[in-house]
Amino acid sequence: MKIDDREQMTENRNKNIYFLISFFFFLSSAFCLLPSAFGKVYIDITSPGIQKLPISITAKGVPEAKEIEAIIINDLDFTGLFSFVAPEVPGAEIIVQSEVSVSLNEITVLWSIIDLVENREVLKKRNTASRKSIRAIAHNISNDIYKFVTEKEGVFRTKISYLVYASPGKKELRLMDWDGFNSIKVIPVGLTSSHAWSNDGRFLMYSSERNRDWKIYFFDINDFKETVLFSSKGLNLVGNSSPQDEIAFSSSKDGNSEIYTINKNGSNLRKLTHSFGIDVSPAFSPDGSSIALVSDRGGSPQIYIMDATGSGIRRITFEGSYNTSPAWSPDGKWIAYTGMKGGKNQIFMVKSDGTELRQLTLNGNNESPSFSPDGLFLAFDSDRDGKRGIYIMRLNGEEQRRITPKDTKAMAPRWSPYFK
Amino acid sequence: MKKILIVLLIIFAAGCAKKYVTPPLKSAVQKETVKETAEPVKKEVVKEVVEPKEAKLQESVVTATEEPSALKDVLFDYDKYDIRDDARPVLDTVSSFLKNNAAVNVVIEGHCDERGTNEYNLALGEKRAKAAKDYLTSLGVLPSRLSIITYGEEKPLCTEQNEACWQKNRRAHFAVTEK
Repeated sequence: MKIDDREQMTENRNKNIYFLISFFFFLSSAFCLLPSAFGKVYIDITSPGIQKLPISITAKGVPEAKEIEAIIINDLDFTGLFSFVAPEVPGAEIIVQSEVSVSLNEITVLWSIIDLVENREVLKKRNTASRKSIRAIAHNISNDIYKFVTEKEGVFRTKISYLVYASPGKKELRLMDWDGFNSIKVIPVGLTSSHAWSNDGRFLMYSSERNRDWKIYFFDINDFKETVLFSSKGLNLVGNSSPQDEIAFSSSKDGNSEIYTINKNGSNLRKLTHSFGIDVSPAFSPDGSSIALVSDRGGSPQIYIMDATGSGIRRITFEGSYNTSPAWSPDGKWIAYTGMKGGKNQIFMVKSDGTELRQLTLNGNNESPSFSPDGLFLAFDSDRDGKRGIYIMRLNGEEQRRITPKDTKAMAPRWSPYFK
Repeated sequence: MKKILIVLLIIFAAGCAKKYVTPPLKSAVQKETVKETAEPVKKEVVKEVVEPKEAKLQESVVTATEEPSALKDVLFDYDKYDIRDDARPVLDTVSSFLKNNAAVNVVIEGHCDERGTNEYNLALGEKRAKAAKDYLTSLGVLPSRLSIITYGEEKPLCTEQNEACWQKNRRAHFAVTEK
């Protein structure tokens, strides 16, 4: 689908809609696989030299079939784990066959996976959804195929929250599918800056400037209700949440920007840093034991890690004089961040002990990395094609793709967790 | 199925606090269900609910007040927030203005150029505003007459990508408010 079409869809959906949100719950039984298929892993993503799985994907029936086929191929292609073989050509190890039909309001996909090596059907399913939910139904099938061959959760039903420039001093908070479709406005007022997901994907936390006040807000996606989480004079910027639902943020309530934590109900405020300079952008490690942050205590903005109690602070970035916006990988081993090199911002990754530094981007300014919940991909923003937009890539820097329209100035992506 | 009501409250407040309330808009309401059935060994139900609900948000806009020509911007070096020598006469003038105009207060806005990252620049902009405030306080201006706000790189004066432009943007800006 062309970006223009995507925008058209977005435009239509947003017409007169203040915001619109989806959440999903899955009830599934354990009987997805035929008994003899149990235990067969087609792609072991933990192995160092992964062989791509040759796969054929075909959908027939109503015209929507081709769209569904394209979405599934796009999803699986981004992982880099599959090679696509035309159905009439030999060489595929598995084939996914779909038959798509529609009624007045519903679309139905009857699909199956056939193992061509063993020459038998190993999975068969029927998915039905509203005709407006073609993308959701296709992403569901992608997740099922991905899970079947890797035994891992796919990210194809996750979302990305991000900011869109509206006018000078005004940025709105938006949500979209991981592939850039179905963009919806969440918070269109004020100047929204830092934002983060709660661990269960039910809440968005963000900092917004309205009427010359920087407050931290909490937004319940189920109830569509905004509440103030933290308010004081000065600049209050939310970081992220620990697994124990403590929220890290920076505040200059006492005059200088320091790192704090607070419970999500607003209790138990704790001040963790006490330095003269700037301390900002705190990020809890996935296990909640450490906090990464940006501090200029050494004379330039650099990334530090401290214990969640505020003790044991140590610097982990030493190359360059402007390293900011740290994000932990879901396994807690890596920090992705924005570093300035040759006057341009680039995405880097470094082990949390400061070793194994890697540069992932080269062209333009690239900022604000955020890991996908499976830890295999990064979302970030870049101005390499002119207007700043949201991009995604694999962790090794491959397959860098713009997912927001070229004429929208978008930045600061935050990849959602899996929705529970 | 729930309906969504949109209440966007915009308050224009500056001197005369006018209040505008936009009429509530009714949005399209969607609720979607994705069903999966076993075929023949698989039984699975997937539900998708797209359910917009009521939300109330408040936005206030402070209209720009006229800025007396005495209040020039204080400029800063890249990634720095200390007061430069060339900024001292500017701040002396601001101090005199405030002493001669007891009926006004000022908001000091801290701004940055675009080269850094947005979040860090918000913190840096605040440091710049605070440095200007501290300097004015040291000249005898009452701290209660000076409030600060940071906009980081979000409200540039100049949008070209060169040092002359970036220098204009690295500033503490004074906006007058009535007492």
